[in-house]
Amino acid sequence: MRIEKIILKNYRQFRQAKISFLRRNDSDLHYVIGTNGTGKTNILNAINWCLYNDEPHLSKDSQRLPVVNLQTIDKIGIGKDIEVAVEVWAETDDDAKVTFKRQAKFIKSDDGQIIHQGTKFELMTDDERGNTKIITGEEADGWVERFVPKSIREFFFFDGEQLDNYFKEATGQNIQHAVFQVSQIDLLENRVERKLQEILDDYTKDAGKMNPKIEIARAKLEQAQSQLNEVQKRIEECKKQIEISRIKIVEFADKLKGVPDIEALDQEKQLLLENFKNTKDLLKAKKIEKEGLLIECGSILMLWPAIEMATKVIEEKKTKRELPPPVDKGFLEDILRNESCSVCGRSLDERSNKRVHELLGEVEFSSETSQRLVQMENPLWQFKEKAESFDKQRKSTEGEITSLDKVLNGITQKISQIDSQMAGYKDEQIRDWYRERKKFEDIRDNNQLLLGGLLENRKVAESTVEEAKSELDNELKKEKKAKGLAKKVAFCTRALEIVRSTREAMMAEARERIEIETRKCFFGLVWKTATFKDIKILPDYSISLIHKMGYECMGSLSAGERELLALSFTLALHQASGFDSPILIDTPVARISGLNRENVAKVLCEVSTYKQIVLLLTPDEHSKDVSKIIDGRACGRYLLTLSSDENQAILEVL
Amino acid sequence: MANLPDRLYIDKADRVLYDNDIINNEILYGKTRKDQFLFTMAIGFKNKVKRSLESREGFFLAKDLHTKDEALIDIVAVYDNGSVDLLHKREDVYRIAEEYAHAGIRLLYDEVSSGQPGSYFKKLELELTKLVESINK
Repeated sequence: MRIEKIILKNYRQFRQAKISFLRRNDSDLHYVIGTNGTGKTNILNAINWCLYNDEPHLSKDSQRLPVVNLQTIDKIGIGKDIEVAVEVWAETDDDAKVTFKRQAKFIKSDDGQIIHQGTKFELMTDDERGNTKIITGEEADGWVERFVPKSIREFFFFDGEQLDNYFKEATGQNIQHAVFQVSQIDLLENRVERKLQEILDDYTKDAGKMNPKIEIARAKLEQAQSQLNEVQKRIEECKKQIEISRIKIVEFADKLKGVPDIEALDQEKQLLLENFKNTKDLLKAKKIEKEGLLIECGSILMLWPAIEMATKVIEEKKTKRELPPPVDKGFLEDILRNESCSVCGRSLDERSNKRVHELLGEVEFSSETSQRLVQMENPLWQFKEKAESFDKQRKSTEGEITSLDKVLNGITQKISQIDSQMAGYKDEQIRDWYRERKKFEDIRDNNQLLLGGLLENRKVAESTVEEAKSELDNELKKEKKAKGLAKKVAFCTRALEIVRSTREAMMAEARERIEIETRKCFFGLVWKTATFKDIKILPDYSISLIHKMGYECMGSLSAGERELLALSFTLALHQASGFDSPILIDTPVARISGLNRENVAKVLCEVSTYKQIVLLLTPDEHSKDVSKIIDGRACGRYLLTLSSDENQAILEVL
Repeated sequence: MANLPDRLYIDKADRVLYDNDIINNEILYGKTRKDQFLFTMAIGFKNKVKRSLESREGFFLAKDLHTKDEALIDIVAVYDNGSVDLLHKREDVYRIAEEYAHAGIRLLYDEVSSGQPGSYFKKLELELTKLVESINK
């Protein structure tokens, strides 16, 4: 199927336009040249709007505008109807004509507002007798699905610049999805497999009516199957979340390349400031401790001669056995003063008086003095110990103060480094980007954890299903009446197994075919043929590009090279899909330069020999090199310009 | 037995010196009156200067003196007197300590007033290090 022409009426820049794509025997290549803003991309949108009722490639400016042509709005009177219509005229492989037409009605209200009145989609084709048949509703949608299924349209009508993003974000999962859809394997799963499952369910239900045990076993299987499906669904959702997060993380990492993590730096700075404060407090405490030591030991050291003297006196007294004294001096003095014995009260006679005087001469000091000297002895030892340990203690405290000082200096340096890193980057948006990236990292990590658990759950659910199946089998075998049914059930089960294994085989075959075609196309396109060695689509559907030196080099591709790879992959998908639908590419070589650009032009010319190609080019893309290659091959060439009031596109045949 | 003095005195004029911002809040920060007294007494003793108190004012109670504090006061008195005889005469012992402290606080104040802020402890440390060296010789 190919597009014969597109007719646009009041659609955005196009007040009235017709673009014909007449083919030649050797080529079906067409292009439209237009500077940015003339409405090139809206040709792509018009096709999407007509077939699928949406406009996926709208620019931000266009999103704010109504679908109705602005000049028409301006010229139409109040209360008048406006019709917007896009017709895609297609011809099938057997030369049958099909016209897809979408019409939208609008009315201009009293206040000049454009009010949507309704949209209609219909399809016109010739019946066997040559009469025009108008098809609407689901049947019309079915025709669209046969032309280009909505789910895979992005491989047929696409923006060349987005191709780069597609491949930058490509993961095993979305490549598998693409292969799955384009190879139409989903039909096998969605239609055949589901139908067989329904039949199988019906048979087992019938069998269940004959024997309650069968019904129980069937219900058990149904429940187990539904649990398995639920787990499977959650696994898919989980994988999807992981992929989305991964893409987002890459997106934010790109934005944040070379930009410091302000949030993290800020947090680090706060921690450092807190640490600085704590260390400073500690340092202050250490200094106070040292000063306390100086004051305490200062008193002792300054009194050192007195300490030494007192120690010496005590030592001497002890040597002379005067310490402690045998009799209290005060006690003897009291006896002499009172002239009587303080113990028995007897008066002192001459002999006793003489003896007390002799004793007083022997006793040098009072018991109070003696007591003081004894009490002094222990503190004196402590003072000596203090004096001896002073220098060691002082040095140790000083060491701690020095190291705390160093820590403080280190912290100060780090803080100033952070300040200089953050200088000029205190942008809230950067913080948002970091927060967003962190959010997606958390989502990814949480889902990865969840996925681990779910995969385990799936194993359990699968074994429960197997058990339930075998239980149901046994019950069916036991029931004679159900023998016939059992055979049917067995047949359906077997058929389902075959369908599943066929699906796997088809997937593997499609993967292999796409791999071969991608490789062929890419090496035809890329000029650095000596750099790359091979392309592989791995069993997990991730794409691997191998460098001549043998290492994986996907990550080091330039934007242009990535686009070439994506284009090769897309063309390979076309080969594998079996859909003979056209390819319409907006800005196909905008990001590609030099020899790569020429190669893309050559490949597209080659493809145009068996497939319709429509290119929407900017004048820059239509460079000398490119025009030299495609101008001779192109069957239809248009130049798109804007009217002087910039509200209408003017299409000129070149 | 003679009545024991219940407190130790400083010269009335010294009160402001003890309350001096640098002395009270930096050098002798967190120290009790007793500790402040013992330190100034040590300064006076080290510098061999004693001054009689002109007018007395109680500074702290004698009951707050621990054994080791009493020991410090006693050894000063013993050294000053050259004998242990006066140890039981507490009034004399305390008077000697008070006279050294009176001289000591004035020396400390002069030091603090003439020096740079924060330099006192550096000087003290140097001085003590030298003292330790001389003791160890």
